[in-house]
Order: sequence, then C-alpha cells, then structure tokens
Amino acid sequence: MAEIRDAHEDILLAPIEYTGRGFYWAVAFLSVLILWGAIAYAVQFTQGLGVTGLHQPVGWGFYVTNFVFFIGISHAGTLISAILRLSKAEWRRPITRMAEVITCMVIFIGAGQILVDLGRPDRMMNVLRHGRYQSPLLWDATSISAYLTASLTYLYLPMIPDIAILRDRLGKRKLLYSVLALGWTGTEHQQKVLNRAIAIMAVLVIPIAVSVHSVVSFVFSMTLQPSWHSTIFGPYFVVGAIFSGIAGLIVTMIIFRKAYGLDYYLKPIHFRYLGQLLLIMALLWFYFTFAEYLTGYYGAEPEEMKIFWAKFSGPFWPFFWAMVLCNFVVPLLCLASLKQHTVGKVLIASLSIIIGMWLERFIIVVPTLSFPRLPFPEGVYAPTWVEWGETAGSLGLFALFYLLFTKFFPIISIWEIREGRENSVREVEERIISYLPGEVEEKP
Amino acid sequence: MEYQAPVSDRLIRRLQWIWLGGAFLLVGGIIAWIVHLIVASWRLDDVIQASVGISIVAIPIFLVFMGVIFYVFWGVALHGRKRED
Repeated sequence: MAEIRDAHEDILLAPIEYTGRGFYWAVAFLSVLILWGAIAYAVQFTQGLGVTGLHQPVGWGFYVTNFVFFIGISHAGTLISAILRLSKAEWRRPITRMAEVITCMVIFIGAGQILVDLGRPDRMMNVLRHGRYQSPLLWDATSISAYLTASLTYLYLPMIPDIAILRDRLGKRKLLYSVLALGWTGTEHQQKVLNRAIAIMAVLVIPIAVSVHSVVSFVFSMTLQPSWHSTIFGPYFVVGAIFSGIAGLIVTMIIFRKAYGLDYYLKPIHFRYLGQLLLIMALLWFYFTFAEYLTGYYGAEPEEMKIFWAKFSGPFWPFFWAMVLCNFVVPLLCLASLKQHTVGKVLIASLSIIIGMWLERFIIVVPTLSFPRLPFPEGVYAPTWVEWGETAGSLGLFALFYLLFTKFFPIISIWEIREGRENSVREVEERIISYLPGEVEEKP
Repeated sequence: MEYQAPVSDRLIRRLQWIWLGGAFLLVGGIIAWIVHLIVASWRLDDVIQASVGISIVAIPIFLVFMGVIFYVFWGVALHGRKRED
C-alpha cells in the first residue's frame, strides 16, 4: 500500500522536480500575450486614455468589465473550497488546492484592472490618502483587501504539511520550503492547531466572499443609472460570480489533468459533480436574469426601456443573445445528461459559460453608459487594440502565475489525499450510520 | 538528486519570524489605513458615520486574520516543536 501511495505521490511531485518542453512553450506563448499587454499599457501610459475606445459618455469599457469578470472568477476558489470543506464533501480533496490558487492569482489581476483604467495612475495614492468611505469604490477596496488576505491565508494553511513533504523529499529550494513549513513534523498537536485554523478560515471566508461580490455590484447599483439601480444586483452578481468561478475551475482542472497526467486524481466523477453544480447555477443565473429584466420591462420607465431595447434588439443585441446562448442554452444542452463523455461535455459548457459571463459583465457595464439618464449625447463604445492587448495580457499574466505556482508547490493536496485514504472511508461510514434512524446491522 | 548544504536552523527561525512580521505588516497596514480614513473624515468634518460603520465590521475581521496567523505560527512553529522535543 505504501509503495503504491508513494508512486502516485510522485505524479504530484513530478511537475516540481522536472520541467518538460511543454512548460517552456507555454511560458513563451504566455509571455507574448503579456508583452502585448505591456506594450498596450506603455502606449496608454504615455499618450493617455485617448488611445482607448473610452470616450464620453462611455467611460467604463473593457477594463471595468474585466475587473468584475476576474473578481467573479476568483469566487471559484476560496468560496467553493470552503463550502465543500465545511460540508465534508469527500470528493473535494483533489480539487480544493486548484480552486484556492485560482482565487489568489486572479484577484490580483482583477484589482489591477482598476489601476489600468486610471487615466492618471500617478494619482493612485490619493485614493489611499484622501479616500472617503461614502464611496462604494472604497467599500470595494476594503472588501477586496479582506478577501485577498483571507484567501492567501486559506491557501497557505492547508499547504503547510505539503511544503514539509517538499522540504523532506526534494533536493532543491530547501531554505524556502523549510521556512514556509514552519517546522511541521505532523505531530498530533500541530495537526489539531492546523485543522482548527483551517476551520475558522473556512467559516470566515464564506461571508467575506459573498460580501465582496455584493460590494462589487454596489458600484453600479448605488447609482441612479437606468439598468444599474437594482436591489437584486448583489445576489445577481454573487450567483454570476460562483457560476463563472466553477466554470473557470473546471477548465483549469481539465488543462492540468491533461498537462500533468492527473487522471488518477481528477476522475470523471469529479467533473460530473461539478457539472451538476454548474447546471444548478445556470438555472439560478437564468432566474436572476429573467427577474432583473422583467422588473425593468414591467416598470417601463422610458430611460430604462431605452437600454432594455438596446440590449434586446438594438446595437447590443448580438452580445445579449450570445450571452443567453452561452450561459443558458449551451450549458443546458451539455449538462442535462452526464452519463457519457462527461469531461468533454463539462469542458464545452464551462468554456461557453466563461465567454457568456464575460459578455454578461460587458452587457451590464457598457449599454447603461451609452444611453445616459442625464441629457448627454449618446455614444458607442468600440475598444481599440490597447484594450484587447490589456485583456490578453491580463489573461496571460494569470495563466503564467498559475503555471509558475505549479512549479513550486503541488497542485493537488498530498496530505489531504493521504488523510482521505486513511480515514475517510471509516469516517463516512460512521457518519452515515449516525444519520440513519435506529440501529444499523453489522455486515456479517 | 543534487547535493545541498544543510540549512542553519537559526537562519530558518529568523526567516520565519520575518515571514510572520510581513504577514502582520500587511494586515496591520490595512487596519492602519482604515483608521487613517476615519481620522481624515473626523478632521474634515465629513460624514464620519460611514467610516466608523464600515470599520466596525472590517477591523475585527482583519484582527481575526492576524489572530489565526499568529495562532498557527505559535501552535505549529513554536509550541508544536517544543512538544516534539
């Protein structure tokens, strides 16, 4: 048993010990994307926001869309991991680390979009020095700081035993692993302390994650702009965030399953469970979208209706209907039955949802600004290569950070898999017996 | 496996303290920033209720983070090793 276990654990350590040609190709490709983004930002920095498609009245375009989208994707990790951990879902074990890393990487990228969006980034410090808490933008800064701190802590704590394994088994980066392992030897006391700390963080992280995306929605809903001033924007954004987050997690899992040969750990059953979760979220997303638009339509306020029709049959119709197709129709068709070709179907649905959720953010941000309530001239937003470059660069940066992480730390938690093998079957059996009424007969 | 010289325990312990200090600096820095915003709104006679209301929620959360980080450091790195000895 021990030999089998070690052989399989080697699969998890292999990406850290050896570097294949694929890694360098991936880094080269991502570097090109990042270079494109860097050049785009350099041009924007020197010539100002005039080089982008952001003009009056549309002052928020791709950057704010990306901000909301990336912060939404960040919900994949810590929130999903915490819910699965607290509900003692045993199938979570190979998934949680991947999910938590997404959060920590993507939240930096998301917050960075605001810096990119600033016409005068040199005035950034003024927000910190002279900020006013009456502004929802500052609520955002505070809640994202809390989520980032919580997510980093929540990622690091369950990594400590794995870092100790790296310290003991690998011949490189001894100092780094020794420092981060905090002298972990796996004593009963250490395990107790760690489990307690992880449990506290798991409980804390859930309300923080929910609050973060609610606060992101407040940036829009606290204004009196048509199509933004909505009471359901908080939960609508949270549902969308979890929806896109799960899709992002699934795509990441499938990529690394293929790249690092993790089929032994990430089995079709994991994708089936996540696919079912995705289907539920697709239905919930549709419900919220329907409720949001029905309320606006029924009220028939002229300014609101202008935007409503701009989305349904006006200049934004391709984006709106593509969003409905990607977020509802395709996932429904793919996820209705997952008995066969599970991984392929879940992958198609997830890719579709990622595109659809980005379009949803775009559809929320841009049309309202194109048709302002105040008597300003209406405007059309057309992004230039600068915004496309920034978007590609941001995606590249996220993927590169993630890839580099996998070269330093195992992407699947080794100790949690071990713990699952050693204790889970007994614990689950005991738990099931405790759920059932009366005495349960022992097997002969 | 390539040979690596053994790492000094004292160096590791020092770096661990620096790591803890860095974590405290990050969390403490955010708390200090929130307090700064309250002071600024007080000085400018701005709507202080908003700053105080948000900080009543935010500051304890950050303090709990600090507590958890220190608890793990104390329980795993300091106390955990002592028990093992």
